[in-house]
Amino acid sequence: MLSVAGLEVAYGDAPALWDASLEIGEGELVSVVGPNGAGKTTLVNAIARLLPVRRGKLLLDGADAAPLTPREMCERGVAIIPEGRRLFVSMTVEENIDMGCYRSQARRFRAQGLERVYAMFPRLNQRRRQQAGTLSGGEQQMLAIARALMARPRLLLIDEPSLGLAPAIVQQVFETIRGIHAEGVSILLIEQNAAQALAIAERAYVLEGGRTIASGKPKELLAEPHIRDAYLGGNKEK
Amino acid sequence: MPSATLLGQSVLSGIFAGGLYALLGLGLSLSWRFLRVINLAHFGFIFLAAYMIYQLAGVWGLSPFAAMLLVVPCLFLLGVALQALFLRFSINEFGSLLVTFGILTITEAAIQWIWTADFRRLETPYGTASYRVGELFVPVAEALTFAVAVTLSISVWALLRFTYIGKAIRASADDPDMAAAFGVRGHGLALLLSGAVAATAGIAGTFIALIATLAPAQIFSWIGVIFAVVILGGLGNPFGILAAGLLIGVSEAVTMALTAPSWAPLVSFSLLILILVLRPGRI
Repeated sequence: MLSVAGLEVAYGDAPALWDASLEIGEGELVSVVGPNGAGKTTLVNAIARLLPVRRGKLLLDGADAAPLTPREMCERGVAIIPEGRRLFVSMTVEENIDMGCYRSQARRFRAQGLERVYAMFPRLNQRRRQQAGTLSGGEQQMLAIARALMARPRLLLIDEPSLGLAPAIVQQVFETIRGIHAEGVSILLIEQNAAQALAIAERAYVLEGGRTIASGKPKELLAEPHIRDAYLGGNKEK
Repeated sequence: MPSATLLGQSVLSGIFAGGLYALLGLGLSLSWRFLRVINLAHFGFIFLAAYMIYQLAGVWGLSPFAAMLLVVPCLFLLGVALQALFLRFSINEFGSLLVTFGILTITEAAIQWIWTADFRRLETPYGTASYRVGELFVPVAEALTFAVAVTLSISVWALLRFTYIGKAIRASADDPDMAAAFGVRGHGLALLLSGAVAATAGIAGTFIALIATLAPAQIFSWIGVIFAVVILGGLGNPFGILAAGLLIGVSEAVTMALTAPSWAPLVSFSLLILILVLRPGRI
């Protein structure tokens, strides 16, 4: 469904990503792990077309996606749950959810979508008239997920969903992601919390210093001592 | 101490002045909040519209409201062109202040060139008619202006609150990238909004032409008080603008009745400073 090869993205002259490659098949859940500053968020933002691609291939359903705008990506069924949530903070919870189904193909399914996300997150229903900026971190993450689901995505880009959340909430967020995947949505999950990300992924990539350095099934990656030590607190096992 | 009738008449004229302030400030507030353009040219556009109404209705004999139907679409296009300029050259908020000041000056010069610096007055039956309600006189043009200001404020509020376009405008102000990622056409929306803002200048200009005697230099006399209203009302908040307009209009009028007209600006700007001190972060 999505194919990235040798992707290079730069902020001005400083390249943040210079050789990133990955594949996501239909209905797959793929994780990208890597340390801080590896370029993970840059990768997601480039795929969502929020950053210009300098070199390399970005294919969606086999067609070149590099010239597309964020809106066109959205219309092709790609939705994003960005790092730091990036909600519309001055708007209410329900208005944020409404913005999720802004594109016309999704708007027709508003009632149905609303029912679904409120069933998923009853807390959001209780707070539907509250300003998004006043929610707790966990609630904001739920709202970011709800907003993205309203777009009826085929491919969901999820960036650092566990950032800044309490462990109990993190568990709930990963359960939710597993549930969305079970409904057939393809997912690209970017996560610094490698243990969690590898536990739910079917395949994974390791991004380091702006390039993809390893890929495979989570078990294979865990078998490599370098990766285990670097990202999974391997020293604890010693 | 002035009589109750004089005080009542002052409050009434303050309410009408407040409506006019809101009508003039609404577009400025919207463009500041949602386009990040501090649009001084708005004042030029208002007076350009007022002079166009004067020309169409006063010189060529159209009804003022037929003239408005011609002027408002012209102003809409002018607003679209202005935003196209801002998008083309990616002008930031501070830059917009300078650029629109330039456009304001050019507009004033153009008005002076076409209509000269002489006073111009649109004579209509509406301009002088008034009703007597109890002890008070209610001038028709002013009352109409007030009704339009209230209607427009409510409509803008409802559009921003309940329509997808309104929500998209607000979402784009919060986070333009995320709005785009959910399908919002940021540039198209900005052009539309800027056109709508200029269209409100067209409406405001119509009522300025009905109420006031026009002279190019008067453009600048409105800037201070309207900025006070816009900041006091909270950016992008149509009801806030209305409330702030009424507060400043009434307090000015009452001050004029109790002391002297020259004290009026003191009251509006004291209010502004007081509110900025007590509730900072309104911009």
